[in-house]
Order: sequence, then C-alpha cells, then structure tokens
Amino acid sequence: VKGDWEALFLGVSISDLLFPAQSLRPQIASPQLATNNPTFTTVALEKPFCVFDGLLSPGKSYEVYLYAMMDSSNSAVTDNNSKPLDTTFQEVNGGQLGPYKAAVLNVPDCASPPKLADIRNVKKASDVLKQYLFRVGDDVSCLYDPNFLGVCNPPLASGTTYRFKYILVDVTSGIMKDETLWSEPIKTNSVKKSSTIDTWPGRRSGGMIVITSILSVLIFLLLAGLFASVFFAIMGSEDSATTETRHISQTVQQVAPRPQASSDRADQ
Amino acid sequence: MAKGDNGVRCFQGLLVLGNVIIGLCGIALTAECIFFVSDQQTLYPLLEATNNDDIYGAAWIGIFVGFALFNLAVLGIVGVIKSNRAMLLAYIILMLITYAFETASCITAATHRDFFTRNLFLKQMLEKYQNPEPLNNDDRWMSEGVTRTWDRLMLQHECCGVNGPSDWQNYMSKFRSINSDSEFPWPRQCCVMDIQGIPFNLDGCKLGVSGYYKDKGCYELIAGPMDRHAWGVAWFGFAILCWTFWVLLCTMFYWSRIEY
Repeated sequence: VKGDWEALFLGVSISDLLFPAQSLRPQIASPQLATNNPTFTTVALEKPFCVFDGLLSPGKSYEVYLYAMMDSSNSAVTDNNSKPLDTTFQEVNGGQLGPYKAAVLNVPDCASPPKLADIRNVKKASDVLKQYLFRVGDDVSCLYDPNFLGVCNPPLASGTTYRFKYILVDVTSGIMKDETLWSEPIKTNSVKKSSTIDTWPGRRSGGMIVITSILSVLIFLLLAGLFASVFFAIMGSEDSATTETRHISQTVQQVAPRPQASSDRADQ
Repeated sequence: MAKGDNGVRCFQGLLVLGNVIIGLCGIALTAECIFFVSDQQTLYPLLEATNNDDIYGAAWIGIFVGFALFNLAVLGIVGVIKSNRAMLLAYIILMLITYAFETASCITAATHRDFFTRNLFLKQMLEKYQNPEPLNNDDRWMSEGVTRTWDRLMLQHECCGVNGPSDWQNYMSKFRSINSDSEFPWPRQCCVMDIQGIPFNLDGCKLGVSGYYKDKGCYELIAGPMDRHAWGVAWFGFAILCWTFWVLLCTMFYWSRIEY
C-alpha cells in the first residue's frame, strides 16, 4: 500500500532518501478524486506525504508550512537565519509581492496515509479529505474577522497563476529544516462572461421546414379550391338554367351569379 | 337536393366519416394542448424568463382550434346530410379560418421548438438565478421564478446546472457575484444530501468528489418535456391539417355540385 501511495504522489525513489524534499514539488490533488480543482479562487494541494521523512528526528516536534505566491515574484520563504517568514496575505498583496504563509499543517503520517478508496464511505470521507489534501483559498471570513488570530487562508484571485511550497519547520527552534521546490505554476479558473453565450439555434430543423412549406402549399391549394368550386357552382347553375337539366328546381331561373345569393335562396 | 343514386350517397358517407374524424381529432387536440398548458413539470417560469413563450401561445390556439374543429365537424355532418348549400358554405368559410389559425399554431410550435438550445437555458440560469438586483419588477418576477424552478429541479431530480455543475465554474454568473467561489463553487442544491437537506460531505461536494455532488446536467429534464409537447402540438396539428385538407376539398367539390 505504501509503495503505491508514494508512486501516486511524487515518484519518490530510494535515492532521494537523504534530502528527498529538495527535488520534489507540491502537487495538485488527484484529479480523479477532486474533479473541481482548481476553481476560481481555490487550489487543492496534496499534503506532503513521505516528503520530509528523512529529516525527522524522534522526540522533536515539527510542523509543515505552506507558502503561496503569484508566479513571477521573489521566492525566498526564510530570512538570513533560515527562520521562516511570517508574512500574511495582506502584507504581500495576495502573493503579488512575495510568498505568504497560507497554512500550518502537521507533518503528514507517511506510515499510515489515508486510503483514497475510503472516500466512498460517507463516515470516513471527511477524514480522508482532511488528511489527504489542503484547499488553498478556502477561508472566506478570516480577512474580515478582527478576532481571527491563526494563519489566514483567504480566497485566491481568479485567472491567476500561483506557485506553492511546503517547508519543514522545527517547532522548538523555529528554524526551517527542509523545503520542497516551488510547485509548477497552477492557474486558477478565469471568469468567462455569460453574455458571450450565443443562444441562437443556428440551422432550422428539417421538421420545421417540412411543416411550414407543406402547410403553406395546402393553404394555397385550399383557397384555389374554394375559388374553383365557387366558379363551378356559378357555371353549373348557369348551365342548368339554360339547358334545363334533369333536376327540377324552383329557383333555377333566378339564380344570381353570386354563390352567397344562391345559397340564401336555397334556404327559402 | 342531391342526386339520390349510390355514388352520391357514398360520397356523402365519406364526407361524414371525414368530419367524424376531424371532430374526434379536434377533441384530442384540445386535450393535448390543455395538458401542455397546464404545465405538469412547472417549467413555465423558465420559458417566461426567455421573454418568448410562443409555444404556449401555440398551445392556447390549439385549445380553441380543437374545440372549433369539433363544432365545425358537427356543422359539416349536418350540412352534408341535409345537402344544405348555406350550411356547407358557412362550414367551408369557417373551416378555412380555423385552418389558417391551426396552421399558425403548428408553424409556431415547430419553429419555437428549434430554440430550446442548451445555451438558451444556460445563459438564463447564469443571469437570472439568485439575481440580487433585478432591473425592474418584471425582471424580479422572472428571476424569482427561475430561482424557484432551478432550486426545485436540482433538488428533486438529482441534477445540477444545464450541462452539469461545471456550468457554475466555467462562467461568471449572478450567483457567483453574490456567493464566494470558495464557499459556493456551485449552489448547495448540487450537493448530494440526506433527507434533512444536509450535504453528506460539504468539502467533498465543493471539491467535486464523485458521489458527493450531482454530476448530471438538468438539460434533458427541462428541454425534454417542452420538446415533446411542442413536437406533439406541431405534428398532431399537422396531421389534422393534412386530413382536413382533403375533407375540405371534397366538401367544396360537393358544395359546387349540389343542385336545387
């Protein structure tokens, strides 16, 4: 299981045992798991499983810091004494001026990583997600909350490229022990305006053309038929008036050329 | 009176039969159009918000035309049996008017059917769903209708967006302008919920973890019934018109040959 896990992550090889992290980069969370990633304002990253293991000495406590910055900016996350920077989102203008500390995490447990298959289990899903990934840009309220004291992780800007970096910090001395490379640039979704959607259906369907054309022709034929029958009705009555055909009619002699008039008379 | 020989009787019989069928079809058309207008799926607000509910206009015409066809068929039958020129002339003229109306209904339904595209409902959903600042009362009414309909559709039919939840991620929307993307990548109705309406796993839903969000689009549920009904109004109307055409022509022929 562990071997699979490592392969799934960063392609950890045994040769990287000493300072493995320095050749690795933070990775975006598995797209098979988190299909909605990145979004407009968030990026979900895999936690650094088995990345810093070579450096953990027993009895000491460590933390992992996550830094984020916009692409193409200054990339130092420590000062000259290798103390990690404590910059916040506001101080670096959302990552424009330099990296900011986005999260403080526990060192992920390499020995018992979460099983991604457990995600189907409703009871375990929440824990699996918490252990497996971190969602940068998740906290919508901390920027506006004056009482908020922790590390603020406010929404990112949309359509912007970000890079991320994990570092390992010794809690007691507060000194960085190891770091990963900056991640590949990860771009948040950009906003497409809804007014650009074209709702025109394009070509007409065959059915519509058939119905319209046939009905137009039928209406035309009906009107033609009406005129023809009126015409023949008049002709016929004139014929019968002149040639005295086999049927006797009391009104034949008076039939007027208009059908309306003749039908009026038929009522009488 | 008409000629008494068998040929004429036979022709009269055909006309009566034709009119009986017209009458029955008229009732059926009325019933079908009433069913359509009664809006069983409550999708009318979506159509209303496109500012184009021609298909309902077509169905309303269909209701009255169906009723008129039934009445005219009765008139026609009586007229043919009595061989009454005046009645038949009235029948022919009124039938032509009805025919013209039904043609209009039929063509309108067939044409409007082409306009039920995915993009039509997508754009409307993005621009009207939870619209916080409608332009005027009319717009407010439409936005509320769209919001209500979409909430219900997404809850009851286990679907989300027009093509899928990605609609909310691909485009800017009124919903997006009032809700943070971090908190609401898509509406809560897109999350798979338990009976009490609480998402099974909210984080999973936001991240798009399979099984915790509804990945199906609602397009089929919207366009499906509308499309079927419009198809019915258009093609049933068309069939009736084709039949009526022959009956009407024959009646004209008969009318022109009635002698006194």
